[in-house]
Amino acid sequence: MQRSHQLSAAVMLAPATGLLATFIILPMLLTIWLSFHSWSSQTGFETAQFIGLQNFFDLASSSSVGRDFKTALGNTAFYTVLSVAIILPLSVGLGLLVHQTIAPGGVVLRTILFSTYMVPMIAVSLVFSKLYSPTEGPLNQMLGWIGVPPQTWLSAPQTALVSIVLLNVWQQVGYFTVLAVAGLTQIPQSLFDAAKVDGANALQRFTSITLPLLGNTLLFSAVIAVINAVQVFEPVALITQGGPVNATNVLTYHIRRVGIERAQGGLGSAMAVTLMLALIVAITALFALARARSPRSA
Amino acid sequence: MTALALDRPRLERPQFRATPATALLTLLLILAAAIAAFPLAWMILTSLKTPQETMQVPPIWLPASPNLDAYTQVADVVNLGRSFVNSAIIALTTTVAIIVTSLMAGYAFAKYRFRYRNALFAVLIATMFLPPIVTLIPLYRIAGSLGLDGNLAGVIVPNLANAFGIFLMRQFIAGVPDELIEAARLDGASEIRVLFGIVAPSVLPAIAALTLFAFVYHWNSYLWPLTILQGNSDQYPIVISLSRLLSYNRGAMNTGLVMAGATMAVLPPVLLFIILQRFFVDSIVASGVKG
Repeated sequence: MQRSHQLSAAVMLAPATGLLATFIILPMLLTIWLSFHSWSSQTGFETAQFIGLQNFFDLASSSSVGRDFKTALGNTAFYTVLSVAIILPLSVGLGLLVHQTIAPGGVVLRTILFSTYMVPMIAVSLVFSKLYSPTEGPLNQMLGWIGVPPQTWLSAPQTALVSIVLLNVWQQVGYFTVLAVAGLTQIPQSLFDAAKVDGANALQRFTSITLPLLGNTLLFSAVIAVINAVQVFEPVALITQGGPVNATNVLTYHIRRVGIERAQGGLGSAMAVTLMLALIVAITALFALARARSPRSA
Repeated sequence: MTALALDRPRLERPQFRATPATALLTLLLILAAAIAAFPLAWMILTSLKTPQETMQVPPIWLPASPNLDAYTQVADVVNLGRSFVNSAIIALTTTVAIIVTSLMAGYAFAKYRFRYRNALFAVLIATMFLPPIVTLIPLYRIAGSLGLDGNLAGVIVPNLANAFGIFLMRQFIAGVPDELIEAARLDGASEIRVLFGIVAPSVLPAIAALTLFAFVYHWNSYLWPLTILQGNSDQYPIVISLSRLLSYNRGAMNTGLVMAGATMAVLPPVLLFIILQRFFVDSIVASGVKG
């Protein structure tokens, strides 16, 4: 029983719609418009000069502008793929643990596991910069106890970006574990009971019941994990400033540096548009992959 | 608290039996929790160490005589008290506004029939998936031309509505019986009164969850405040002051100060989570990740 209430609807929708239109949708359209212009972020939009696709040609070129951008794009892609590849399986594993462990004290352990997602990324970055410290940090100390040589972590180009991925996994995996638990609770217990009666072991029950029925949850998790991953900013801005030798220069950091700090608003907008297109391609691919895997639930 | 509980059957779980398998699972869970807790434990322990202890190689784990000196000294380096208040203002104002705007829009989408309803909903929800960096450059200019740069209003105003909040409220308000709303209308209640007097109290679990999401997001938010505040340190939220602490502190290398500041920044969102956590999990289940 829904009413035809055009006026009330307008009143109820006006605040949220007006705010989102002004502060998200309008800026997004402006980003697209600016990407075809030469424009200094220090001046009004009316000073923008149309230059067609020149910004995009610059980004694709082998000039330093193009090289830096392609490095940032590559770093972001690597960071995103590695983050998702670690977070998804880990969240399912932890989700199964949380879901199945009913031991006394389980609630406390679950609270600790989920709470890392509430910790400000700035604090996470500060703490990990000390944990990763090659000499004063406890991580290399603990590795030493089990005979592993000290790692360079954030201080060498080969290991810096991976170290930031690990820090990100620590902060985010709790949230994705909650998503996995939410998905697991929607699988009827009767399916597992029936499979048990038929003699399926735990691994068979996991691969033939849990994993397929978790498909939509995993797709949703993957999409959110990708969108979160391209936003990585704090550890780079705070600890590495994109270094060493551009190894951690990721897109969010690079776009802000070019578009705001260097005031090259048109060029920065072209980078943002490229990021948006890359995200659309990545998310479309994830949906296509999910559809190909499970024709039933698509 | 039971009055707030969601109207859904709780998870059915078998009775706990101590078998080798459950013992192993519990052990794995303890290990995972230990890894999750370790960085936070290290942060708190280091904040209680003396400057000498924080510089030991190899590192020592437990301070010999835990003291709060770092917490009193950190205030001399950056104005952490002021920043704490700024963060509270930002997080509380945005949270209250997001709850109000989300309730209103969620109510309209759940209970009204109007033209372009599904299209408008789709457009608003799509903003949820847009990384903030995509809008940052023009937004910085728009906020500046509205006179919002360099002050707290600039941090707050662009964040008074939120697509996730609208989505969550629509999902929950759709479950409020129409008879309840009709009865209130027949009693002559205005739509605003129906919403805040009848509908809102019946979706308190969703409001609790949204409170947690919005508060934590805006307490922790760094990119936008850093961009719009443009070096006006009086207006810094605690996460920015914390980031400054590291650069001020590089010479002295007093890690204890940094960890004391980090501990203060971490406490409010984590405490709020501990209070509201069951609504967090329930809202994710109920908001339909099943797709």
